[in-house]
Amino acid sequence: MIHAGLVLDELRRQGVTDVLGVPDNASKALLDLLALDPSIRLITVTREGEAFAISAGLWVGGRTPVVLIQNTGLLESGDALRGTAMRMRVPLVCLVTVRGHARMIAHGLEPTAEALGADLLSRADLDSVALLTQPTLRAWGVPWEVLASDADLPRLGAAFRRAQEGDRPVAVLITSDTAPP
Amino acid sequence: MTRDEALRPLARWRGQAVVVTTMGTVRPWARLSDHPLDFASADSAMGHAADFALGVALAQPQRKVVCLNGDGSMLMSLGTLVTIVASGAANLVLFVLENDTYELTGNQAIPGAGRVDFPAMARAAGFTRVHAFEDPAAYEGTLAAILDGAGPVFVSVRVEPGAEGPLGRGPREAAAYLRPSLAESARRLRRALTGTQ
Repeated sequence: MIHAGLVLDELRRQGVTDVLGVPDNASKALLDLLALDPSIRLITVTREGEAFAISAGLWVGGRTPVVLIQNTGLLESGDALRGTAMRMRVPLVCLVTVRGHARMIAHGLEPTAEALGADLLSRADLDSVALLTQPTLRAWGVPWEVLASDADLPRLGAAFRRAQEGDRPVAVLITSDTAPP
Repeated sequence: MTRDEALRPLARWRGQAVVVTTMGTVRPWARLSDHPLDFASADSAMGHAADFALGVALAQPQRKVVCLNGDGSMLMSLGTLVTIVASGAANLVLFVLENDTYELTGNQAIPGAGRVDFPAMARAAGFTRVHAFEDPAAYEGTLAAILDGAGPVFVSVRVEPGAEGPLGRGPREAAAYLRPSLAESARRLRRALTGTQ
């Protein structure tokens, strides 16, 4: 469990001005806090790819946006991420909640490309998007940090540093639900 | 009207607006304008010029931002119409130049060519300032008013099909804003808008 208030504190500390994305259950607690926070603008988009293009424009215009989406939306966003934030070298942190992570771990599976196959990806007791998330980021050349509990919060700060130092998007994989503060 | 008849008056009236072009307008616009606030959404993500322009508009609310979108590009991200209105970007003017084709790939017809009603979709998304033009004189006579006042504004301009070829970037490009990489272009626009790297 990750306390949403701690995540919000770190976003404020990093000077984040806008959070863009599509809601999901795992990020609900964080979204509830953001909706009440006058210092950060929350922009809900109709499809996750929009969030990357709008974020690129926000950054060009001098803002500090963050994307907040589910891993399903990350996969949907492929060309938008590639063609805007990556191609424009935008130092953008993208918070990605990892749907299916718990079931993947419960089955003792690792998200590696080598493990992927039609049989595994179609199993009813697994959520294929969890298996595909890290291999996809690796294939796209997007580095990531993992946020599994409050103890990992320094990784969020590390993601902002990596994004700034590399002039590139960095993903933060949130592998458990956010909880009220 | 011709594309030139659509773009030339805009080049005259744009003032200090950011102008984001994409697809079939990228090179024609560069033949009329060489301005630090011009940005080509080329070598970028297909269908995402309007949402990129929305981001710039939200970041720079005191400055007008114009997006010259195509009809095929607009169809790729229709949800952006809703996002634009919901975000309250009062400084964004979204043009859709309608020629019913994917021009850069050889003028194949877009889905719904001749039937899709973009102004109606814009109204349904919540745009309250919606214009549609086929006549160049009416368009030119209204353009200054369109660019003035609070938006977001949606402008459909019916243009003849053209013959623009595939887009690229690099030092051999005649269009000055296509010579740098997309990353360098983004940084140049950021410097022009904010004075920062």
